[in-house]
Amino acid sequence: MNTILRYAAQIALYVAFGAALGYFSSYPVFQALPPDQALVRLSFSHGAKPISPCRERTPEELAKLAPNMRVKLDCPRERAPVQVEIEMDGKPLYQITARPAGLKRDGASTVYRRLPVVAGKHTFKARLADGPDGKFTYVSDATIDLAPGKVLVIDFNAGKGGFQFVH
Amino acid sequence: MLKLLQRAGQWTFHRADGLFTRVFGEHLNPLFHLGALSYFMCWVVVVSGLVVYAFFKTGVREAYDSVEYITQQQWWFAGIMRSVHRYASDAMVLTMLLHLGRHFFFDHYRSFRWFSWVSGVIVLWLVYASGINGYMLPWDRLAQFVTVTTAEWFDTLPVFGGTLIRNFIFEGAVNDRLFSLLSFIHIGLPLGVLLVLWIHTQRVPGAKIMPPRTLALYGLGALIILSLVKPVQSQGGQADLSVAVTLIELDWFYLPVYALLQRWAPAEVWYLVGGLTLIALATPWLPPKRSRKEAFHMMIHPDNRIIAIRDGEFVLDAALREDVRVPFDCRSGGCGMCKATLLQGEVDYGLYQPAFLTDAERAQGKVLLCACTPKSDIEVEYVPVETPGKIAVAVHTARVVRMNRLSHDVMQVFLKCEGEETPRFYAGQYIDILLPDGEKRSFSFATAPHERELIELQIRLVPGGRFTPHVFNEMKVGDTVRFEGPLGSFFLREDSEKPIIFVAGATGFAPVKSMVEHAIHTGFRRKMFLYWGVRSLRDLYLPDLPGEWERQSSSFKFVPVLSDPQPEDHWEGRTGLVHEAILADFPDLSDHQIYACGSVAMVQAARPAFLAKGMSDYDCFSDAFRFAPRTEARSAEMVRLGGTA
Repeated sequence: MNTILRYAAQIALYVAFGAALGYFSSYPVFQALPPDQALVRLSFSHGAKPISPCRERTPEELAKLAPNMRVKLDCPRERAPVQVEIEMDGKPLYQITARPAGLKRDGASTVYRRLPVVAGKHTFKARLADGPDGKFTYVSDATIDLAPGKVLVIDFNAGKGGFQFVH
Repeated sequence: MLKLLQRAGQWTFHRADGLFTRVFGEHLNPLFHLGALSYFMCWVVVVSGLVVYAFFKTGVREAYDSVEYITQQQWWFAGIMRSVHRYASDAMVLTMLLHLGRHFFFDHYRSFRWFSWVSGVIVLWLVYASGINGYMLPWDRLAQFVTVTTAEWFDTLPVFGGTLIRNFIFEGAVNDRLFSLLSFIHIGLPLGVLLVLWIHTQRVPGAKIMPPRTLALYGLGALIILSLVKPVQSQGGQADLSVAVTLIELDWFYLPVYALLQRWAPAEVWYLVGGLTLIALATPWLPPKRSRKEAFHMMIHPDNRIIAIRDGEFVLDAALREDVRVPFDCRSGGCGMCKATLLQGEVDYGLYQPAFLTDAERAQGKVLLCACTPKSDIEVEYVPVETPGKIAVAVHTARVVRMNRLSHDVMQVFLKCEGEETPRFYAGQYIDILLPDGEKRSFSFATAPHERELIELQIRLVPGGRFTPHVFNEMKVGDTVRFEGPLGSFFLREDSEKPIIFVAGATGFAPVKSMVEHAIHTGFRRKMFLYWGVRSLRDLYLPDLPGEWERQSSSFKFVPVLSDPQPEDHWEGRTGLVHEAILADFPDLSDHQIYACGSVAMVQAARPAFLAKGMSDYDCFSDAFRFAPRTEARSAEMVRLGGTA
């Protein structure tokens, strides 16, 4: 291979190297969410009620305990699972039963879910049960106009009255 | 299946090697320097990253604004550095993957190579972690995409369990401290990369961590030009957690998994990535198992060393592992730098570029040490280009200025180099006397390096030989000889405090004389013991000299040992084999260095006995051998110090 041809080939290969770096560092462009969709993000962390009610210890039971441990009420550590159901425009969108965290199942139940939906006006209804009876004690709904790409966060905070629709 | 894949990969690399060699030349072929290029790109990333970090501010608003500032206002310096930082990171991934692919396809990851392979896989993941972490810092829409997706992905791990994403759920949830944390990680992880890279290269003999300067400069130039042509920009403005990322320009070198995370469930991606990582880590031990073959030994000249070659090990790697400074460059059979002569034995020539080892050369016994593996014990000779201390090996002409007959079969010959200084050398090295027909005969320097005037050789007569009878019968003062040197890696190590035991057999005394006189001259404080083993008293050809050394240095002690004393010797000193005398005097050799110079038979008997007494392999130096040799008898004879016929 003569010198000029070699230099030309070297330049061509360096250009190809640069072009490959330049192209694949950005392209092809990735469509993370289709252009006509919005995103619902369900996220909360909630400690449910105990799995069973507290009971009073009998005098015999108390007597067996060390003096400093003689507490009348015996409450279970384990919590009930949290059940959540989300409906959109009257149709089920998502449901989950989240177990409490921890080896003793005494921690909070945490849920995160990413739910792409078609953009537009939607009515959302959210229900949550956090007791051993499985009864939905928290129910909320909201009608929201979601622009394409817009994020709706469905959060839950019992201290603030239950579900919150943040968008 | 695997073999088919590897064959296809080998074919592809082999063709690409050939093409790139034609274009870049054999010494600048980037495919021969993939590991070193990865190292170089890593340094470019570190340096450009430090520049960018000087401008970077750790705050929600400040992070984005400071990166925008360097991109738009400071584009001519920090902006270019930002782009170089990004593109060098991409280039590093590219070269690393090619480097890994090359070793996979050529089946260079099993057996003793497992360490380099496994540490390489760890480097790869650390580089990915560093790069992905870096994408979070500019806090643009791409940073939002990477950060949120990372949190979503990690939240499927039980340790997080859905809590991590709570930090990125609402606009305003992110605070300034996040960027301090991310910056901290972005410094810590690359430090981890450098550490593991260093470990990765430690076990590779003669590993090069810098590519040729020209290649490095051209590569850097290409990155800078690319940075000017397509400067890296922040995407879509500052991160806004209330708006989902829809269309994004992904860096496909680092973020293909992030695209997959939008299509697959996070747990599935964990299974894929975790599974691939486990397979990659276990690859050296996965089937098909290669049948374990016998390891062979190599006698290598001009060092006159015998070295064990592990199953599947290239001859070059074995030599470099044992500190034999064989010249090399590409390590891929593509440059011819390591071409040597196969004197004995059979090799598998391996894959190489035919332009650098022609059929005619093969027929003449040439091999490429970086591509061949032994099929029997072998004997090879290479042309050295440097010796320890980078003293150049050169051919000199010298005149015989003095000759003394020291004993019935030893001649002391003093040479003076003509028209030039005596070459610099290390105490213990040797020269090759060049005979008119190209044959060589090796003799150690008996003079210490500080004696610049003359070179002393001690030549033992080998009856019927080609050269030594000439020395005894025909050579006279005024004759000229040509020699090549200095040669050999057997020299006095001065970086230890351990006491030294010199074991000399017959004319093995010559290099010991050089070393002891050097030690006394430089004021060595280490204890030195010389055990000189000869057959009978008349073979102690310089009997008074060691006594003189004892008077000059209280650290030096001399013990002569005769293996076959004659009645007329009236010998009352030590008798028997010289190494047995040492074993009797030193029940524990773990804290000593041993320099053994003598016949193969002597060292062959001594070495295992020394090892059994606790001697470290790293503290035994010998010009004769390191492992039990099984080479041809003629070859074994050649390592005898004092020269052959």
